[in-house]
Amino acid sequence: MSHDSAWYEIRLQGQLHPRWASWFDGLTVTSAADGTTVIHGRVADQAALHGVLQKLRDLGLPLLSVARIDSDPAKHSTPGELS
Amino acid sequence: MHSPLLESKLYLPRSRQALVPRTRLAERLRRRDGIRLTLVSAPAGFGKTTLLSAVVAERPGRTAWVSLEESDRHATTFWTYLLTALERAAPGVGEGALGLLQSGQAPIESVLAGVLNELSVLPDDVDLVLDDYHLADGPEIQPGMAFLAEHLPPQVQLLISTRADPALPLARLRARGELVEIRAADLRFTADEARAYLNDLTGLELDAADIATLEGRTEGWIAALRLAALSLQGRDDATAFIEGFAGDDRYVVDYLLDEVLDRQPDDVRRFLLETSIADRLTGPLCDAVTGRSGGKAMLETLERQNLFLVPLDDHRRWYRYHHLFGDVLRTHLRAERGDLGELHRRASSWYEEAGETVAAVRHALAAGDAEHAADLVELAVPALQRERQEPTLRRWLDDIPDDVVQKRPVLAVGFIGVLMSCNEFDGVGQRIDDVERSLAGPADTLVVVDRGELVKLPGALEKYRAALALASGDPAETIEHAGRAIARAVEGDHLTTAAASALAGLAHWAAGDLEAAHDGYTTAARDLRRVGYIADVLGCSITLADIETTQGRLRQAQSTFERALDLGEGLRGTADMYVGLSRLGLERNDLEAAGNFLRRAEDLGPAAGLPQNPYRWRVALARLREAEGDLVGARDQLDAAERVYVGDFAPNVRPIAAHRARVMVAQGHLSAARDWIRQRGLSTDDELSYLREYEHLTLARILLAEQARGDAIRLLERLQTAAEAGGRTGTVIEILGLRALAQGDVDPLERALTLAEPEGYVRAFIAEGPPMMSMLAALAQRRPDWPYPHMLLDAVRRPASQAPKTAGEQVLAEPLSDRELDVLRLLAGELDGPSIARQLVVSLNTVRTHTKHIYTKLGVTNRRSAVRRAHQLNLLTR
Repeated sequence: MSHDSAWYEIRLQGQLHPRWASWFDGLTVTSAADGTTVIHGRVADQAALHGVLQKLRDLGLPLLSVARIDSDPAKHSTPGELS
Repeated sequence: MHSPLLESKLYLPRSRQALVPRTRLAERLRRRDGIRLTLVSAPAGFGKTTLLSAVVAERPGRTAWVSLEESDRHATTFWTYLLTALERAAPGVGEGALGLLQSGQAPIESVLAGVLNELSVLPDDVDLVLDDYHLADGPEIQPGMAFLAEHLPPQVQLLISTRADPALPLARLRARGELVEIRAADLRFTADEARAYLNDLTGLELDAADIATLEGRTEGWIAALRLAALSLQGRDDATAFIEGFAGDDRYVVDYLLDEVLDRQPDDVRRFLLETSIADRLTGPLCDAVTGRSGGKAMLETLERQNLFLVPLDDHRRWYRYHHLFGDVLRTHLRAERGDLGELHRRASSWYEEAGETVAAVRHALAAGDAEHAADLVELAVPALQRERQEPTLRRWLDDIPDDVVQKRPVLAVGFIGVLMSCNEFDGVGQRIDDVERSLAGPADTLVVVDRGELVKLPGALEKYRAALALASGDPAETIEHAGRAIARAVEGDHLTTAAASALAGLAHWAAGDLEAAHDGYTTAARDLRRVGYIADVLGCSITLADIETTQGRLRQAQSTFERALDLGEGLRGTADMYVGLSRLGLERNDLEAAGNFLRRAEDLGPAAGLPQNPYRWRVALARLREAEGDLVGARDQLDAAERVYVGDFAPNVRPIAAHRARVMVAQGHLSAARDWIRQRGLSTDDELSYLREYEHLTLARILLAEQARGDAIRLLERLQTAAEAGGRTGTVIEILGLRALAQGDVDPLERALTLAEPEGYVRAFIAEGPPMMSMLAALAQRRPDWPYPHMLLDAVRRPASQAPKTAGEQVLAEPLSDRELDVLRLLAGELDGPSIARQLVVSLNTVRTHTKHIYTKLGVTNRRSAVRRAHQLNLLTR
């Protein structure tokens, strides 16, 4: 169990407009071709992750998966990994 | 507690529009017997609140409704709302419990035990609804809720709506068949219900295929169907719209809300978006936020058009947006406008004007204006502390950046007080140092809004250092800082001098220096009286009288209580004074007076008692029972006292468990008393301190009862030396009496009587039983001309004066039946409804019927007042 910041990728049913990025504290919101939405980005800690999940719950959006990923897949680099 | 905020939280939503009848759900919700919890668990927009309000409107019985919010996660806030709602639904039920809760010193189980006890004999059924429970659920309230769910009497059902399953023992309730669950799959509209909604209620006249498509796309999600209906209104191309909607993957609510917003006139659209920043809406607030007029009319229009508004009262005054739509509206607003600072600033100013500091601060923080938020908080600290809103203040401490706080010494000191009252001592010393340093620096770098407070800071800082030292168990340091606080307090800052004097008093008391403790409390009481904190003056009087009693100054203690009573009628703390007088009456062997004082304390009701009174009252009653020779009754009362025990800052110098061990000795239950010694780890070789004196004296009594005279005498001699050195004459009298018994020697008794005579002690001697009588007789023989020993012997020969037991004139129009009297007697005890039923071998329903008749005949509405009235009418005399 990690208490440090980490990258997460959350997949939802349905397509969410990118304007929701600010609602999710600056995480990236991307629509996928298969009608799902991927929210990804770095969250400060587990409490922050649960905050994001709670917001999804509050919008009534069905959750497909939550995965911890190595780093930002969009950039294929590890910014701030060691910080 | 009559703020509009509270009103809207406890407001039972009434459906104003016709609803889709949900017979299949109503069927499952009708059941009441054996069901403890009804759980409606589903995401936002599934009609949970609507369903519950319809259910409780239909069921007989009373409803206690709480609409929870984000800020209700804090335990005291949550329980305050819950108890207030119960109290309103069933007057008298939460009485006393609220005070106990807000004292912050009772475990939640003790607070709830009393409430459950009241509920268990309620003649009517009660539905307790907690709407949006997910907003409050968390570790703070969980233990109390689990206790509540586990102990609910049959006439009370808990109904919870939530977006996430609560942390309650659901599996157990489910296994016992005590849980009704309604989940998303149950709530979503079936095709039939969707048709009823869209066509019958909204008048859209859609065909079956369109309805099926909509139902499929929204998956019966009511919020989405509602939006769909709004977008469809006035469209000629319904089928085309529905097809377009069905073929789109976008988030349903987003899609539909775009459609709805696009179809609104510009002014309505702007209004919806801009006002979405507010948690609650009222006309003038909307005008302030939008910068335009007509807010009230707009809100009424929106309500008529069924546009996302939820009314929060019956007067068309306060509303809020449906949570889900509010979230979506805000996201749209942010995407369109970017910076929402200006809107929040306007909301903040409006709330500030309106005197609603909490909301004003919230919006100032949302506007990113920490400086202004800090200004508001600085001015609000004293009032919020008085109202025990420390949890709110504590949150702000996290929200306002440190550098903003650091240049504001008044605010920084306010926060120090908040941290200390939340028992968070870490880093407080550092904070005090920081403020002192900043005060010593150049004055022009400091920000001070509350000028009047600035001069008080040097005294206040020393006061907090004293409190910090006391918390870390350092009496010497406490006394030193308290002294400096008094020296540095500015003229007229009586609160600081009072607090510092009380802190010094406490430190002296804990160290056993009663004289100095007495001085400290005397000063504290004087200064508290100057600033009108009368309840605290009465609190100090208890301490003063306690010290005086220990010092063997019974007459002084008597006058302390009497002077305190002169401060006014029916003040909070008055009941405690009568309890104190009862104890002194008992010491004079005036059992009648002792009983009368206890009754008077009870008649005054819980509002006249300090948080500790419920347990002190029971301890006093236990003493009376002992004096009457009813040892079983005494132990019952001590057990009851322990259940409602509430500590305070004062040292617990007479623990209830030790008192009970003494009763065990009197009963001859020596092995039980031994167990207590083991539990407390007491031995005759212990280092003696005033704090454990009562326990060590109890140990000596047990040794004596065990015939271990040598050990008892050695311990008593050491105790006597310590008590004499500390000026505790009251204790010395008790020790000398025990030594006389242990040594079979009249000399110590003669000394004890010499000390005791001027103060009128009686009980201290005659309570020791027959062996003491022979010693007194011997003493009377030795000193035939000394009336005091003779008087003591007479007091025993003449049976202790009992209250004349007049049959109790029944002034009732309709007298109580024998069975009702039986129930009433049990109501006066500690049993709950089911236990009373078991005791009388009847059903709970029968008990409830009797209770109902008793209440009617006595003209009361709850258990506590029934018992009080019964005492007044002398119905409970045995």
